[in-house]
Formats: sequence, structure tokens, C-alpha cells
Amino acid sequence: MDELELLKKDWQKKNDQLPKLTYNEIHKMTWKKSSSIVKWILIISILEIILPNLLYLIPSFRKSMSIYDNTIVDQCFVAMTVIYYLVVFYFVFLFYKRYKEISVLDSAKGLMRKIIRTRRTVKYYVIFSLSTILIFIGLVIIGIYLNDSFMDNFSEMAANTKDVSPEKLKTTLMVSMAIMGVVMIAFFGGVYFLLYGLLLRKLKRNYKELKRLEV
Amino acid sequence: MNKELEHQFVTELENNQNIVHKVCTLYTHDRDSHKDLFQEITIQLWKAYPKFRGESKFSTWMYRVALNTAITLYRKSKRRVQTQDYESVIFKIKADEYDSTEEEQLKLMYKAVKQLGDIDKALVFLYLEDKDYREISETLGISEVNARVKMNRIKTKLRTILNP
Repeated sequence: MDELELLKKDWQKKNDQLPKLTYNEIHKMTWKKSSSIVKWILIISILEIILPNLLYLIPSFRKSMSIYDNTIVDQCFVAMTVIYYLVVFYFVFLFYKRYKEISVLDSAKGLMRKIIRTRRTVKYYVIFSLSTILIFIGLVIIGIYLNDSFMDNFSEMAANTKDVSPEKLKTTLMVSMAIMGVVMIAFFGGVYFLLYGLLLRKLKRNYKELKRLEV
Repeated sequence: MNKELEHQFVTELENNQNIVHKVCTLYTHDRDSHKDLFQEITIQLWKAYPKFRGESKFSTWMYRVALNTAITLYRKSKRRVQTQDYESVIFKIKADEYDSTEEEQLKLMYKAVKQLGDIDKALVFLYLEDKDYREISETLGISEVNARVKMNRIKTKLRTILNP
């Protein structure tokens, strides 16, 4: 294409028209903080890992765990918690390993692949974490349903609701737990997929384009 | 030692800054984002500099980091206002060097290249910088054959943009 050759010649003469930064200006830039998408992935991922775990610090959440007065169920909870944290640590380790593998010195395609792989690790973590919340809330709802003296755990609330029939109260509590679960999952999931969707839209489009070439 | 490394890096970048400016010109639309992208590329270059062992030329190494930052790492600035004066400064064509048909053709070509996608731009950029297909393919992570195929497609695409 003749035009492209013409452009090449002109392009190589462009140097004197480009901006010129001084030594000091460049030096200052080396001290600035990066705002690359890798940095954002790290921030969002750390938040996604920490936030669901913070739920256990909320008193009512801990209280609701005591609805089961059965020791076997209690032991199950302990076992589940241990497994949960083991899986969380595994995800953190895997995320760290993948994050470290991201290198700007890779080829364009290699870099994109590694970012997508790191993101996939966090995606699986989020799915795991949300499923755990769902299972946990499910167990609490079943617990409320099976346990007749569950209101003892909420002594303050029981005092205020003497006139309401226990059955109605039970249903209300179960429904509100379910709603809370759905809202929570929608929130964590929504924030995660929205942020990542926006952050990686460009990257995914470019990666697809490079991959398409191989077909 | 660190100070020495820093001085070495800044000097190298100062001498080769044209490469980064050219990448910024292709991938941004106004002065602010040009500066923003330049800064991000500088940060990425500096972060990766300890791994640069001088096996290749500093400039060769820069192409990869600069393009990776522009295509993948850089979050596009919200401001997408294309300012006429920015375009005209960067792509200023010296009237005395060309006849008017050539000048017009060049203007249209620069405009057409700016309309290409990120990957296509990278290919055109490396092509304009006179890189061979081996280097183009290694920088992008595709095979040499595919780089050639892609370049031919881009040429067709440019032709379509120029002669709608």
C-alpha cells in the first residue's frame, strides 16, 4: 500500500515535533503511583476476600449461629468453618501466585491471558464465597424452622413481641433472613461483576481479537 | 546503588522518550490523557527496570512495556474530547515538504490510523517504526504468519476508511 509507505516516511520524521520532557519531569514521574488495571484488580480482590469474612464480626450474625442447641450441629459448624478458611487461604495463595506472574514484559497476549487467569481465580472465590453465605443462611432458616425455643436467643426482641404469635414471628424471621441473603448476594455479586465487567471490557475485547487470529 | 539505577533509567528514558510519546499519540485523544499515559508507562518501565539486563537494546525493551501499558494496563481516561489543536500539533505536516495532494493523503491516513482498534494500532505502530514481522509477532504474542495476515487485513481496512 503506497499510502502506508508514505506514512512511514513521514512518521519517522516526526521526532522533532513531539513533546520533550526534561530529566526532572521524568524523574518526578518515577515516584508517582500506578493506576493500572492490575492495581485495581488487586484492590477489588482484597476487598472481595475481606468483606464476606467481616460478616462474622456482626453480633447478630454470631448470635444466629447459636440457634442450634445440638452439639452435633455445632460440631458441623466448626468443621465447616475450618474447611471454609482452608479454602479461603488456598484462594488467597493461588491469587497471590497468579498476581505475581503478571508481567509487563510478557507479550501482549501473554499479559492479557495472565490477567484474565488471575481474575478467574477471584471469580471462583466470589462464587465460592457467595455459595457459602447462601448455605449458611439456608442453615439458619432451617434452624429457625426446627427450633421451637429459638426466640430465647433474641431475648430483647422476644420481650417486644409478646403479642405476636410465635408461628407468625418465625415466618417473618425466616422470610427476612431469606431477603437479607438475597440482598447480600446481589450486592457482593453485583459489585464484583459490575466492577470487573467495566474494568476488563477493553482487555477482553483485545484478547478475543488476538485469539481469533489463531483460528 | 538505587540512586545510580534511577539516574541511569531516567537518562535512558529521556533519550528514548520519543517512542513513548508516539505510543501516547496513537492511543490518546487529548493532552491530559497523553500525559497520563506517559506517566503510567514511565511507572511501568521503572518498575520493570531492575529486570532489564541489557540483553536487548533499551529501546527494544521499551516498545513492549509501552504497548502493553497502552493496550492493557492503562485505564482509559473519561475525557474523550478530541481537541483539534492537540491533533494538529502532533500530526502537523510541514507544508513545504509535501505537495498538497500528499499532505492531504497523510492527514487522512493519520486520521484513519487513529480510528483503528487497539491491536491494529499496535501493529501499525511497530510497522511504522520499521520493526520486522518477527519482532511484531513476539511483542504481540502471535505467530509471524498471523502478524502478516493481520497487517494485510489492516491495510484493506485502512483503504476502506480512506475510500468509503
